[in-house]
Amino acid sequence: MRSVDIESLIEDGKNNSKITCTRCPSKILLPQVGTYVVKEFNLPLMNRKAESDGDSFEEIKDYWQINDMYHFENIGFSKTVDDRKYLICSDCEIGPIGWHDLKTKLNYLALSRVKHVNS
Amino acid sequence: MAKSYDYLFKLLLIGDSGVGKTCVLFRFSEDAFNNTFISTIGIDFKIRTIELDGKKIKLQIWDTAGQERFRTITTAYYRGAMGIMLVYDITNEKSFDNIKNWIRNIEENATTDVEKMLLGNKCDAAEKRVVSREKGEQLAIEYGIKFMETSAKDSINVETAFFSIARDIKAKTEKKLEASNPPKGGHQIKANEPSRKPTNWLMRCSIL
Repeated sequence: MRSVDIESLIEDGKNNSKITCTRCPSKILLPQVGTYVVKEFNLPLMNRKAESDGDSFEEIKDYWQINDMYHFENIGFSKTVDDRKYLICSDCEIGPIGWHDLKTKLNYLALSRVKHVNS
Repeated sequence: MAKSYDYLFKLLLIGDSGVGKTCVLFRFSEDAFNNTFISTIGIDFKIRTIELDGKKIKLQIWDTAGQERFRTITTAYYRGAMGIMLVYDITNEKSFDNIKNWIRNIEENATTDVEKMLLGNKCDAAEKRVVSREKGEQLAIEYGIKFMETSAKDSINVETAFFSIARDIKAKTEKKLEASNPPKGGHQIKANEPSRKPTNWLMRCSIL
């Protein structure tokens, strides 16, 4: 995602549009709930289909930070891996679209793995 | 930020493995994404937001995640649960017979006032049905709980089931709140109140 695209999604540091799944119409986040943060994190690839794909990750740094898990409209949590849980679409289960940090309880949703819908 | 919801209810899905708890109920979309990474780790719980009578309700829905294979579920899993969906497969007689065992397990482990609902799930085609609708209804009446048949192809029923249990929990919760905060000068009846203070689930994060 080019930085110019990101700029257009932020208003006062928050997401200015509704956020849905990229694959189904599931509503994930309402406008003004996530705070834009830059954080370097290796998120496992979403299209990993076979074991042979191994540990394939993508370095993503643009995230919406959601302080409370109940601020999501609809979201799924994976089981714990190390000190985190991965976030998935609660309807079609595509993911990971972000992660939940068990130590800080903060949630990070990758901008590039969700859809921003202007109402 | 202002509080983004009015109520938070923890719900559990319980029943034999293979009855379609995961394939239908836990997932609201028929067309799930297949990903080895997520399916290898497994899913813990989901958060869903619904609206009832103008109130925003967050449902935290837990699957038994394979624990049911041991035919028993630990007390820890039941902790804080306010609603339980008992699921059987209408094409599998044994899963229906086992509902009685699951109810016993719930009685031994969950709080007594947990809201329960019986769901007959059609994971396969209806022509394979072995448990009649009447049998399901009868069992539900026996236990004094609600009953519904759900289907993978008709996700509306699944939504209806969740709305129904949420509505019942909400009514129960509001009644409890009213009882603990009676209007000033009103007559107070406390005889049936449990001595234990009801847990304030709004203040608590029971899962992580």
